[in-house]
Amino acid sequence: MAIHDTAIVGYAETKIVPVSDIDVWELGAEILEQLLDRTGFEKGEIDGLILSASTTGAGNSFWSQTTADQLALELDFCQTVDIGGSSPLGALARATAAIDAGFCTTVLCLYADTSVAERGTARPRSYSEEWTQPFGYLGAPAAFGLLSQYYEQRFGLDYRALGKLAVTQRNHALRNDLACEKLRKPITIDDYIASRMINDPIRLLDSVMICDGASGLLVTSRKQAERRGLTRCVVPIGYGERTNLNPARAIVDPTVSGHRAAGERAFAQAGLRPTDIASFHPYDDFIIAIMMQLEMLGFCDHGQGCAFIRETDFGIEGDLPLNTSGGQISAGQTGLAGGGTNLVEAVRQLFGEGGERQIANRANALVTGIGGIPYGRNWNTSTVMILTPNA
Amino acid sequence: MTELNDTSDVARLLPPVRSFSRPFWDATRERRVMIQYDREAGAYQFYPRPTSIYTGRRHALEWREVSGRGQIFSFTIVRRAREPFRGHEPYFLTLVTLDEGINIMSNVRGCPLEEMAVGLRVRPSWLPLPDGRNLLLFEPDSGSVAAAQSMR
Repeated sequence: MAIHDTAIVGYAETKIVPVSDIDVWELGAEILEQLLDRTGFEKGEIDGLILSASTTGAGNSFWSQTTADQLALELDFCQTVDIGGSSPLGALARATAAIDAGFCTTVLCLYADTSVAERGTARPRSYSEEWTQPFGYLGAPAAFGLLSQYYEQRFGLDYRALGKLAVTQRNHALRNDLACEKLRKPITIDDYIASRMINDPIRLLDSVMICDGASGLLVTSRKQAERRGLTRCVVPIGYGERTNLNPARAIVDPTVSGHRAAGERAFAQAGLRPTDIASFHPYDDFIIAIMMQLEMLGFCDHGQGCAFIRETDFGIEGDLPLNTSGGQISAGQTGLAGGGTNLVEAVRQLFGEGGERQIANRANALVTGIGGIPYGRNWNTSTVMILTPNA
Repeated sequence: MTELNDTSDVARLLPPVRSFSRPFWDATRERRVMIQYDREAGAYQFYPRPTSIYTGRRHALEWREVSGRGQIFSFTIVRRAREPFRGHEPYFLTLVTLDEGINIMSNVRGCPLEEMAVGLRVRPSWLPLPDGRNLLLFEPDSGSVAAAQSMR
């Protein structure tokens, strides 16, 4: 058994909204129902539940049990993954491991968060009250401001190249009915450049808008999928995860992330190279994170991201289609469940169900995660997964 | 010259003190900068940790007083803040590399926008807290102008 002996047999996603009037558990029920309808599985056959982190559930030490109770699932394996925005991809990886280990056979990976509707319910214990909040550091935009300024000083930044990524993703959201409606308006590179500064040089159009919503996957063994005639499915063939890069260094280069190590592992396991990748679905909380991942994953050299962006067409019909449902930046970030948006889109594309945004090359897809912001560094957890259709 | 706000008037929440960070906070009452140092690794670490980031053991960890002088590692201008900083924007949020080789997040005050740069030399600029502690902020180290120029 190995990671490629598991299969994603179904995907599901709700509409992304600025604030949900539907409870987070009902969003979970909507995902469960979509998955049962699509795959023909019965609820009683689901024996594993893996939840992404969520701000809604963050104060609850019993979150996976409580959610299982709400959805009336009887389980042999359950957990909540707590690696921030990396959690949805991490949940899928843990589902393959649990199935591989024989703990369970069929896992519901559920990514639901209503952080906007229930804002301020959790006060996580962290370094921040002591070492960052007293200085008016109020989260990720400031961290990416510091990071971008450092990158600018070291390599230079071409903001029009970054703007090209913002425009590309926005164009993709225009073709995605589930994207947050407020974001489904065309933008230009000039709009990007002119958008107001939040944390120099991070602009409004560099940033995600926090929204509410849910997505999910149904994962089972490949054998089970074939036995049930679910031959059209998606198979993970490589995964890498790195948390807390270089903790034993007092100062680190924030332009280097754990995606280098995680990517090397995922590519080696998949037997592929960056030039083999058919579509790219990176975690996007800020535009510059996409560029940094292109560098760390080996699509281009360290410091050459802007040049690579200028030379590459990231459109649906382009060289390397990018976040074809708009990414979180143009579809809306569903809180800590947001990593599910680009993951589900990659699965949808490999199923060949992209509709008016279907890409031609379905040989594989590369999906990533970013989670958590450590003190004075870039991000805490980097994840990389490569998926293929069941050929 | 464009002056940013210096955030001195912000009614900050008092930072908590942990069992392993108390020496840092106690020293700020006398406006001294104390940093953890691992004798075995021969290196400093910040923020204060419950163990050595170098060895995972505590036996060679001690506190050493440092000057607090350093230079700007990176900076951003905060233009949108939440409470209690709302209304005090824009202000500098910076990472400062102390001469001992650690990075500290803080604010820089008394620095015109035009003079802020990676490599700018800075020194401590203490902000009193209501409980007698002081918060370690920074200001341009005017005695080191030449050094700052050479870093740009």
